[in-house]
Amino acid sequence: MKAVVGLALLLFIAMALTLVVGVRDAGISDLWNAFFAFDANDPTHAVIRSVRVPRLVAGLIAGAGLGMAGTVMQAVTRNPLADPGLLGVNAGAAFAVVVGALLTGYADSGMMAALAFPGAAIASVAVFLVGGARSGAGSPVRLTLAGVAINALLLSLVSAIILSRNETLEIFRFWVTGSLAQANTRPLEAMFVALVLGAAIAVIIAPRIEALALGSSLARGLGTKPGAVQLCALLAIMLMTGAAVAVAGPIGFVGLVVPPLARRIGRHVLRHELAVSAVLGGSMMMLADTAGRLVVAPAEIRVGIMTALVGAPVFIFVVRRLRPGALT
Amino acid sequence: MSDEGSARKVVGGWLLLGGLLAVAILLSLMVGQIMITPAELLRGLMTGTGPGSLTLRVLRGPSTLTAVGAGAVLGVSGAIFQILLRNPLAAPDVMGFMSGAGCAVVAGVAFGLLIPLPILAAMGGLVAALLVAGLAFHRSGRQSPLTLILVGIGIGFFASAVSSFLVLRMPPQEAADAQRWLAGSLTARNWGHVLQVFGLGALLFVVLALQVRAMALLELGDELAAGLGAHVERARYGLICTGVLLAAVGVAVAGPVPFVAMMAGPLGMRIAGVRHPASRLTAAAIAGATITVLAEVISRSAIPGLQLPVGVMTGIMGAPYLLWLLWKEVEAGEL
Repeated sequence: MKAVVGLALLLFIAMALTLVVGVRDAGISDLWNAFFAFDANDPTHAVIRSVRVPRLVAGLIAGAGLGMAGTVMQAVTRNPLADPGLLGVNAGAAFAVVVGALLTGYADSGMMAALAFPGAAIASVAVFLVGGARSGAGSPVRLTLAGVAINALLLSLVSAIILSRNETLEIFRFWVTGSLAQANTRPLEAMFVALVLGAAIAVIIAPRIEALALGSSLARGLGTKPGAVQLCALLAIMLMTGAAVAVAGPIGFVGLVVPPLARRIGRHVLRHELAVSAVLGGSMMMLADTAGRLVVAPAEIRVGIMTALVGAPVFIFVVRRLRPGALT
Repeated sequence: MSDEGSARKVVGGWLLLGGLLAVAILLSLMVGQIMITPAELLRGLMTGTGPGSLTLRVLRGPSTLTAVGAGAVLGVSGAIFQILLRNPLAAPDVMGFMSGAGCAVVAGVAFGLLIPLPILAAMGGLVAALLVAGLAFHRSGRQSPLTLILVGIGIGFFASAVSSFLVLRMPPQEAADAQRWLAGSLTARNWGHVLQVFGLGALLFVVLALQVRAMALLELGDELAAGLGAHVERARYGLICTGVLLAAVGVAVAGPVPFVAMMAGPLGMRIAGVRHPASRLTAAAIAGATITVLAEVISRSAIPGLQLPVGVMTGIMGAPYLLWLLWKEVEAGEL
């Protein structure tokens, strides 16, 4: 119960800060009025409704999506270093959208953003094949290195394509590190639906994933088909990661930092962990974004850089805690 | 290497390696927005006039030679760590030393410090190496090379994030240049860069040559090396320092170009067909130079009218190699 109250409070604070903090300071009364007594002539109201609310929604979608995707990945692979950013799944989604825009000549819009899903799926399959994680027994090192390689390859290609199209620096930064600054131009509604769909699949198969963790022969005995569960998990990861990348670009480390905390708070029940991951991921994303806007105001630091500053030390911490046997 | 056949094979291997570098350099001088024929280049070299001369002196010569120098020092640096840790993944780019060096350079520029770039890069690289060694340290005293590599990857992530953060403190034009440099860049190099990378590189190669005997002993294993009269710890620290400094020299002129250091050692060893540390280091230098020069010319001419950062190209070349390496080891059941 205490945990639920704490999480609700965290989420509330993160949301409030996202709406209030910015170049144009808004008070709580402005916030209230912007929703309940909207005045079209008040620029503060306009900023809140047309810029900050989309930013909040994008942060929630991306954070919740990456947090839950990380939790599913770590549960399926039993690898504490699995994260959609580190393993190149984000980069795959970004790459697919950018290539789509290149081939059709259209700027990336709603239709192009849908390519994030196949992109994420193909990159996940590739990284799991190379990382040798099919059996769920792949070593964290191999999987991480495969992710580093796929990430480097895809992001190099994304850079090359965007630079060759003479796009603006803003677009380049969005597709290479991720940012919430373009939230009001992203297809938020459609991606919200995709996120909910992915989350629903994850929640439905959560008990099966837990059964799988007991070992595949025991899982079969309990009536679980390992292949089918892994396919569903892949589908869930694809939907959640794709949605996150489509609204915020390839943001790393959220799916690395959130799951271990969620395991603690969710007491090792995967469904609870998923719910906690969604809240923690969304809050982390919004807090990182707000901090990025405060540190060097009036300039802003993209949220992908902020999550990396927090996430890289966590990565090292997790590596240090790996059992020596887990490395071979 | 006792019989005639293998000696001939080794000579052939060296010729192949040298030939590849020569072809790469020639391509790099010839190809661009304006094509220059070898005859024009030769005339420019001999007479000092005409388009060939301008290309050699100003347009492409300095960039190409900087690429040769940077590639060579990075290749040797990678080979040192690969030999010491006996792991093809141990390289200053994978383990975050180059990101650390790059981060220090960006910090120096952002805060307006008047310290020469190679010294900044060296300080950054050494700090990163110390952090990696310190954070990978385990009470049991047994450090697996894989822990070192993973911790190094983490340090690399952190250093890159700090660099991106610092870039925002700079004025817009400078920031755009810094961003490009951080991706690894060889555009607009001048003879000062050439002199710097070859001068410092040569100095460090001499230092390294003095340590090669110790390195060969270390390869036999710590106990045997100690028995044969090597100061194991001292030799290892000396080699690590030399390796980090070599990487820093490369970073100072070309930015933290990814994957060259990792690819050069194994590639050189395979093409030249050599095993002894001294030969492996030499082969790595030539292979590193070849890779960097090729990446430079491709990044310059792949898309007409556009100059990609050379690091984008080495990323596209190096990442598949890393994937292949992992795939092979999965098949073999190693790693």
